[in-house]
Amino acid sequence: MSKPIIQMIGVNKWYGTFKALTSVNFTVNKGDKIVVCGPSGSGKSTMIRTLNWLEAHQEGKIIVNGIEMHKKMKNVDEVRMDVGMVFQHFNLFPHMTVLQNLMAGPMWVRGIKEDEARSTAMKFLERVRIPEQAKKFPGQLSGGQQQRVAIARSLCMKPKVMLFDEPTSALDPEMVSEVLDTMIELAKDGMTMVCVTHEMGFAKAVADRVIFMDEGSIIEESDPVNFFDNPQNPRTQNFLSQILQH
Amino acid sequence: MKLNRRIFTFATTAALTLCTSMSFAGEALDRVMAAGVLNVATDANWAPQSFINDNNEMDGFDIDVAREIAKRLSVEVEFITPSWDIITAGKWNGRWDLSVGSMTPTKSRAEVLAFPGVYYYTPASIAVHKDSPFEEVSDLNGKAIGAGTATTFELYLQHDLQIDAEGVPAFEYQLTAENKSYKDSTAAMDDLRLGDGVRLNGMVGSLPAILSAIEANYPLRVLGDPVFYEPLALAIDRGDAEFNDKLAGILADMKADGTLTALSVKWYGIDFSSTGG
Amino acid sequence: MLFADTVVPDPAVHKPKVMAIMLAASFVIFSLMGLNDTVLGEFMRPAIGEPTESGLFGNLAIGLVISMLFTGNIVLIGFLPFRIQVLVVWLELLLLFLAFFYSFGLDFAFIRSKVWFMISQGVFTTLYISAISITLASIVAIFGAVAKLSSNGFAYAIASFYTSFFRGLPLLMQVYLIYLGLPQLGYVIDAVPAGILALTLCYGAYMTEIFRAGIQSINKGQWEASRSMGFKFGLTMRRIILPQAMPLIIPPTGNQFIAMLKDSSLVSVIGVWELMFLARTLGNKDFKHMEMLITAALIYWCLTMCLEVIQSRIERHYRTISH
Repeated sequence: MSKPIIQMIGVNKWYGTFKALTSVNFTVNKGDKIVVCGPSGSGKSTMIRTLNWLEAHQEGKIIVNGIEMHKKMKNVDEVRMDVGMVFQHFNLFPHMTVLQNLMAGPMWVRGIKEDEARSTAMKFLERVRIPEQAKKFPGQLSGGQQQRVAIARSLCMKPKVMLFDEPTSALDPEMVSEVLDTMIELAKDGMTMVCVTHEMGFAKAVADRVIFMDEGSIIEESDPVNFFDNPQNPRTQNFLSQILQH
Repeated sequence: MKLNRRIFTFATTAALTLCTSMSFAGEALDRVMAAGVLNVATDANWAPQSFINDNNEMDGFDIDVAREIAKRLSVEVEFITPSWDIITAGKWNGRWDLSVGSMTPTKSRAEVLAFPGVYYYTPASIAVHKDSPFEEVSDLNGKAIGAGTATTFELYLQHDLQIDAEGVPAFEYQLTAENKSYKDSTAAMDDLRLGDGVRLNGMVGSLPAILSAIEANYPLRVLGDPVFYEPLALAIDRGDAEFNDKLAGILADMKADGTLTALSVKWYGIDFSSTGG
Repeated sequence: MLFADTVVPDPAVHKPKVMAIMLAASFVIFSLMGLNDTVLGEFMRPAIGEPTESGLFGNLAIGLVISMLFTGNIVLIGFLPFRIQVLVVWLELLLLFLAFFYSFGLDFAFIRSKVWFMISQGVFTTLYISAISITLASIVAIFGAVAKLSSNGFAYAIASFYTSFFRGLPLLMQVYLIYLGLPQLGYVIDAVPAGILALTLCYGAYMTEIFRAGIQSINKGQWEASRSMGFKFGLTMRRIILPQAMPLIIPPTGNQFIAMLKDSSLVSVIGVWELMFLARTLGNKDFKHMEMLITAALIYWCLTMCLEVIQSRIERHYRTISH
């Protein structure tokens, strides 16, 4: 068993007086596929955003790649380079073409030469099945295509772990599956992933572990079979009955 | 010459942050001789003393006097046209070397400037609209009278005119009126031409300027005799006695050999160069 | 344009009540103006006899004719489609203005003899001073905006002091302060650089706010995406934020340039031979100030109109690429 990629130990976080995370303990090992779910406002997005320190935590420890995240750290960018992130609203750079979006990170922060960055970018575009859109601007693509570009953009940075923050919530229903298919393929290739999502089908298909959060705490953590068939906590049961009744 | 000036300003601008010229207190003459250029500050709005002529170049009595001085110093002349209040404020910091701008050597100006010599005298007169009822200067007591701001004419209206030069006849304040300040005498005449009492009842200005306005069909007339004679002097920044003496010498020569008389007759038709009479 | 409704009412000027009010009001106003001794009186001579002796009758007759023409004109224009309406009203107002200038009895030969110099010397100087100043002001504004948005108290304090000071002083005073004040510190600045410096600092202060708003309008997600890939602040600003903020920044900057074109006239006080300086001085010898002032006014106006056309093109360009 190798060293964990991400560790959260007793993490507490406040927004002013509102307590967003309470004593969160959580470990991601290499190759793990973890799905985080919970009702809205439960702190799951906050939790995933503290992992690469887009949000700061106040108490406890967050260790990524063996580096502890804290306020005075000098090498936060090195950590973030190795942690890919996919956002709910894609956050592609609208003034750059798809190809430029994919090449920017490797060239600007990894110092990769342009030719190499381009061939890597094309490789990942083919992997997310939209190489023909390389010269277009993000605004010309559908939501599903944009999210696949965003995934490819993260992959171009050759991350050690990928974080997905509700990647399908902003999509029209017919586009959800194309993004989920991409994520399932990624999981099958062995990528380490943490996904905040309500897509229970995805969780059943790929997750090693499912984490249920409510009111800033992890309420339940188990393998998908147990999680869906035999939830322990009444709040988990209530949540599952609400989202699975349709 | 105009093109050169433009290229020069362009170059200066390009070197915006670099173009420093440090203060040269007391070094004015050396600077002029070293550069071979006499920078003369003058007003571009003061016909017939100094103005922009039909060829779009500086021209006029003051300009001719400045050219003659530069010739006798064996240097080129360049004209700079900052507003009058900036010239009279002193502390030129070497931006220009000499003012040939029909400046009256008042006591307050003598605190910041040096006057190497008077080069002519002009009568200051009061002008009124030609249809106005006024007959004597005293008729204008309590009326609205215009004058260029920071001029001796305005100081006269404010009863605060102290002329510090030889050969000037004594004068008394003949009226107490409401003083209205203008950017220059022409602006006052422009308001006066609108009609008596529309904005002004009269204005104080130099007699030659008023006469040339009347010649240009301004509906004005001169009221009574000149109220005072003003000596008009060269001015330099304080602190260079050598430059002062050099200019005084040149001026004396120009008086003695009749150059000033000739220039005065050329521009005014009258010799204003000798006495205030 | 306001967002128009689908229901189109009759134009107000076609309602009988409005027409009647317009006619009555203009009749009263034109009658009270006493136009007997003007060219209009001359025009009406066949109807009212000797204009100067026609008295009240003449005034009323002229007032009636003019008010009918005036009202009829407006009602007729009301029938035209939008574009033609705009064109006709523009032309009529322009003619009125030109007639106003013409009534001064200007010496057009004099204007012809001076206008080329006003353009080659005055417009040229005005334009290059404004162009250099707006460029420098944009650079100042970028730094000002970043400082104002930063969490560094020192930078924020300097930037907010700067914008407060230079927006709080009249530009003319800044010109004087720089031209006369800097030499007190031992740095003698020439007139043109002093003018450019004053315009740069003053407009830089206004444009700091434009740049700040532009930068702030960029979605927080762009910062997060950049950050999540390990971009540092300068890189994010240069390659991600500013390029997206430009479409929002450039149109108001164009407006600032148009304003600056006119404000640059203030540097005439320190003897720069730009358009305003020439307008005040060229006519001096021959007492033809009105000629020069009106010529300069029309030149300023033409310049501004040209720039407005360019400005609207730029705006349209950015609208089309951002959607």
